[in-house]
Amino acid sequence: MSAPRKAGGAGDRPDLLTAVLFVGFGALGLWAGRDLTLGTASAMGPGYLPTIVCWLLIIVGVTVGGIGAFRDRQEIATPKLWPVAIILASVVGFAFIAEYFGFVAAAVWLLLVGSIADRDSKLREVILLTAGLTAFGALVFIVGLGVQMPIWPF
Amino acid sequence: MKHLIRNTALATTLLLGAGAAHAEWPTDRPIEFIVAFAPGGGTDVMNRTLAPYVEKELGANITVLNRPGASGEIAYTAMTEARPDGYTASSLNTPGYLTMQMDRKVRFDPKKICLVARIVEDPGSFIVQANSEFNSLKDLVAYAKANPGAVTVGTTGLGTDEHLAMLQLEKSAGIDLTAVTFNGANEARTALLGGHVMTIGINVGEFVGSDHSAFKNLGQFAEVRAVIAPDLATAKEQGFEVLVSSERGIAMGCDVPEDIRVKFSDAIRKALDNPEFQAKAKQQSLALSYLSSEDWGKELPVRAERLGAIWKLAKEQQ
Amino acid sequence: MNFIDLLMLGFSEALTPTNLGFCLLGALLGTLIGVLPGIGPTATIAVLLPITFYLPPLAGLIMLAGIYYGAQYGGSTTAILVNLPGEASSVVTAIDGYKMAQKGQAGSALAVAALGSFFAGTVATFGIAIAGPTLSSFALSFGPTEYVSLMLFGLLAATVLARGPVLKAIGMILLGLLLGMVGIDASSGEERLTFSAVELFDGIDFVVIAIGLFGFAEIIENLENHEARAVLVSKLSRLWPTREDFRRAWPAVLRGTGVGTFLGVLPGGGATLASFCAYSVEKKISRNPSEFGEGAVEGVAGPEAANNAGAQSSFIPLLTLGIPSNNMMAMMLSAFIIHGITPGPTVLATQPEIFWGLVASMWIGNLMLVVINLPLIGVWVKLLTVPYRLLYPAILLFCCVGVYSINNRIFDVVLAAGFGLLGYAFRKAKCEAGPLLLGFVLGPLLETNIRRAMTISHGDPSVFYERPISLVLLIATVGMLVLMVLPSFRRTREVAFQDEEG
Repeated sequence: MSAPRKAGGAGDRPDLLTAVLFVGFGALGLWAGRDLTLGTASAMGPGYLPTIVCWLLIIVGVTVGGIGAFRDRQEIATPKLWPVAIILASVVGFAFIAEYFGFVAAAVWLLLVGSIADRDSKLREVILLTAGLTAFGALVFIVGLGVQMPIWPF
Repeated sequence: MKHLIRNTALATTLLLGAGAAHAEWPTDRPIEFIVAFAPGGGTDVMNRTLAPYVEKELGANITVLNRPGASGEIAYTAMTEARPDGYTASSLNTPGYLTMQMDRKVRFDPKKICLVARIVEDPGSFIVQANSEFNSLKDLVAYAKANPGAVTVGTTGLGTDEHLAMLQLEKSAGIDLTAVTFNGANEARTALLGGHVMTIGINVGEFVGSDHSAFKNLGQFAEVRAVIAPDLATAKEQGFEVLVSSERGIAMGCDVPEDIRVKFSDAIRKALDNPEFQAKAKQQSLALSYLSSEDWGKELPVRAERLGAIWKLAKEQQ
Repeated sequence: MNFIDLLMLGFSEALTPTNLGFCLLGALLGTLIGVLPGIGPTATIAVLLPITFYLPPLAGLIMLAGIYYGAQYGGSTTAILVNLPGEASSVVTAIDGYKMAQKGQAGSALAVAALGSFFAGTVATFGIAIAGPTLSSFALSFGPTEYVSLMLFGLLAATVLARGPVLKAIGMILLGLLLGMVGIDASSGEERLTFSAVELFDGIDFVVIAIGLFGFAEIIENLENHEARAVLVSKLSRLWPTREDFRRAWPAVLRGTGVGTFLGVLPGGGATLASFCAYSVEKKISRNPSEFGEGAVEGVAGPEAANNAGAQSSFIPLLTLGIPSNNMMAMMLSAFIIHGITPGPTVLATQPEIFWGLVASMWIGNLMLVVINLPLIGVWVKLLTVPYRLLYPAILLFCCVGVYSINNRIFDVVLAAGFGLLGYAFRKAKCEAGPLLLGFVLGPLLETNIRRAMTISHGDPSVFYERPISLVLLIATVGMLVLMVLPSFRRTREVAFQDEEG
C-alpha cells in the first residue's frame, strides 16, 4: 500500500485525522474506564470488553495513521468555520431556550440564527419561514403529536 | 385528537365536579405528574389510567409527563427542584428508589421527598417452564443442593427485585445459584421459554396479567398471599425466608404544605375506590394495596433496612 | 376451522368500516411521523396508548400497528431525500437512496422503496398467518451463544457498508461498540464511561447519534459546499423507475423479503440486522459491486424489503408467544393488556378474531400505504426543488424537536449537537458513519450475550461451536473473513473503490 515519497510531500491528511480521532477516543475510553473491574472470562466485569475495544481502536488508529503517513499527500477539504459555529450555536441555544421559555421562543431562535449560516438567506423569506415553521411545529408536534414541551414561556 | 377527547372529557368533569370545588390549590393550573419511566411501561400505564379518576376527585387538571432515566433518579431530581406549590408530583417505585441510595450519592436530597400514597404492592416470584421437573421452591432448592451452581436464574440486573430474592433464597436455604442478567423481563422470559435459563424472577402481577400457559409459578415472596394470586403459596409457607416486592406509589416535595399533600393522598384513595377504576385495574392485574402517606412513611424505613442487609450480602459476594 | 376460514374471519373483521378507518388513520399518522425525522413510532404510540381506552380493542390495535409499519414507509422517505435515517433500519437505505436522489433519481428510489416494501409486507403478513408458530419456536432456539455468533457475523458484514478502506470501517464499528457501552452496566450496576452524567446512565439513544452524525453534519457540509447544491436541484429528472430499474430491483426485493422475514422474528436486534444483512447480500452477489454506495437501485430495494418484512414478522413472537421482541412491541403489548387481552397461545385459540383481524389489517394497511405513497412521490420530489436555504432550517427544527421528544430533556439536544461536530470531523477524515451506527446498535447485544453465554457455561468457550446454529453462523463468519482476505476478492474490492482512492 505504501506509495513512494514524492516531492510534493507525503501524508494522507484525512487518514492522519482518522488516526487522531480513533486513538483519541480509544485513549479517552481507557481513561474513563480506568476504575472499572475487569473480571475474568467466566465472570466478565464491566471493564472487560470496553478495555479490549479501546485497545483495538487504538491499534486500528495507529495502523491507519502509519499507512496514511507514507501515502501521497492529500489535503483535507478546507473547513469553513461559519456554518459549523452557527449551526451548533443555534441548536444548543434551542435546547436551553426550550427549557426555560418554551417552544415558540426556542424555534424562533433556532430558525433565525440557523438561517444566518447560509449566505443566500434573504431577510423577508427568513421571517416568513420562521413564522410558518414555528406555527406548524407548535401545532403538529406539541398539540398534535403530544411532544411534552411547553409552547409559551408562562 | 387525543387532546380533543381529553379536553372534552375534562371540560365535562370540571362542569360536573364544580359543585365540589375545593380551595385555591388544585384548580389554579394543571398538576404536572411526572412518571419516572418510559411511556407504555407498567408504571406509566397505571398512572395514566389512574389520573382521570384523581382529576375527578380533585376537580383539577392533571398532565402526565414522562421523565425516564437512571431508574427514576432523573424524575426524583426534577420533582425536588420544582416549585413547592403542590403542582408537581412524581411516581415513586421501590426497591429502585431505595437501592439507588445505598450504592452511590444520588442527585436529589431524599429528605426532600415526601410520600403521598402507595398504590400497588406486587410481590416477586420465581417461575419455570410448564414442563419443568420443579413444582415448588422446595424442588428447586433440593436440586440446587445436589448440584451447586447448576441452577441458572434470569434476573434483570444487580439490585433488582429478582436479584434480591435470589440472594435471600440462597441465604435462607444455604444453596448456590447462578445469576444471569437480562435487559428486562421480556428478554428473560424469552430465554426461559427457549430453555436457556432454568428459572426467572417475575412480579406476580406481571405473571398473572400475561399469557402464562407455558409457565409454572413456584411461589410468591410476600408476607401474605397477594389479592391477585390467592392460590399461590408464599415462600414463607414453603419454609424459606424470602420477602421481596415492588411498590408503586406517588410522592411530592416535602416543602409542599402538608394539607395539600394530605388532600392529594385522600383524592388518590377515593379514586382507587372508584369501581370503574377497579375494573380497569383488574384488567391490568394491578395488585392494589393502598397505604396513606403516614403508613407508607412508617413502612419504608423497615423495607430499606431489610434491603440494606441483603445489599451488603450482594456486595460481599462480588 | 382451517386456514382459509381463519383468514376469511380475519378479513371480515378488518374490513368493517370502523377498522378500515382506524387502519387508514394509523397508516397516515405513521407516514407523517416517519417522514418527520427524529419523531419515532415508539413515542407516538406511547402518547396515543391512553386514547385506545376509548376504542374497541381491535380498532385500537389496528391503528397502533398501522403507525408502526406506516413509519417504516415514511422513514425511508427522509433517508432518501435528505440523508437522514430516523431509525437504525433506514441507515442502509440512506447510503444508496440519497446517492440516487443526488443523481436526480429520487422518484425512482422512492417508488422502488414503496413497491419493494409492499411486496415484502405482503409476503411477511402471509408468513405470520401460515408459519407464525413455527417461526417463533425457531426464534426461541436462539440462546446467548447463537446471538454472539449472529452478532459477529453482522458486525463483519457491516464493513461492506462503507466505501472507503476496510480498516477505517472496522475502526468506526469499534467506536460504535464503545459508544454502545456507555451507561450503567446491568449485571454489575457500575456506571461505565458516563463521566458521572446521570443523563448517560441509560446509555445514549440511537436517535441522538443518528441525528447528530447524519442530520446536523449533513447540513453543515451542505452549507459549506455551496456549489454542489445548485447542481443537485437542476438535475432532477425521472419520477418513475425505468424498466431497467425494475429488472434489477425485483430479485433484490425477493432476497430482501426472505432475509427480513427470517431475521425479524429474532427478538432484540433481528429487525435491525435484516436491512444490513440484505445490503451485504446484494453487494456480495452483485456483478458490479462498485455501483454500491454510488446509487445502486438494488441497494435500496433489498434493504427496504428486508426492513418492512422484518417489521411485520417482529409481530410473530408477540402474537404467538406473548413476548415482545423490541420496544415497539412492548408498547403493543401494553395496548393489548389495557384491553384485558393477553397475547399468546391462549388468545390464538380463544379469540382468533383478534389475531387474524390484526394480520389481515396489516395487509390492508400495506396496500393503503402503497396507494398513499406512490402519488406522494411527486410531492416529495418537488420538495427537493425547494431552495436549500429554505429547506435546511425546517430540517434543523424537526431534528431538534425529534431529539428532545425522546426523553423530554435538553441534554439530548446538546449531545446531538456534539455528535454533529464529530460527524463533521469524520467527514473531513473521510470516514463513513454507517458502520459506527451498526456497531452501536449491535454492540450491547453482543456484549450482554457474550457475558451471559460465559456465565451459563462457567467460562467454557466450547459452547460456541458445540451448538449447531451457532456453529453454522461461525462458519459463515469465518468464510466471509476468508473472502475478504483472499487476494481475488481484494482485487475486486479495490477495483470497486478505484475512483474513490484514485
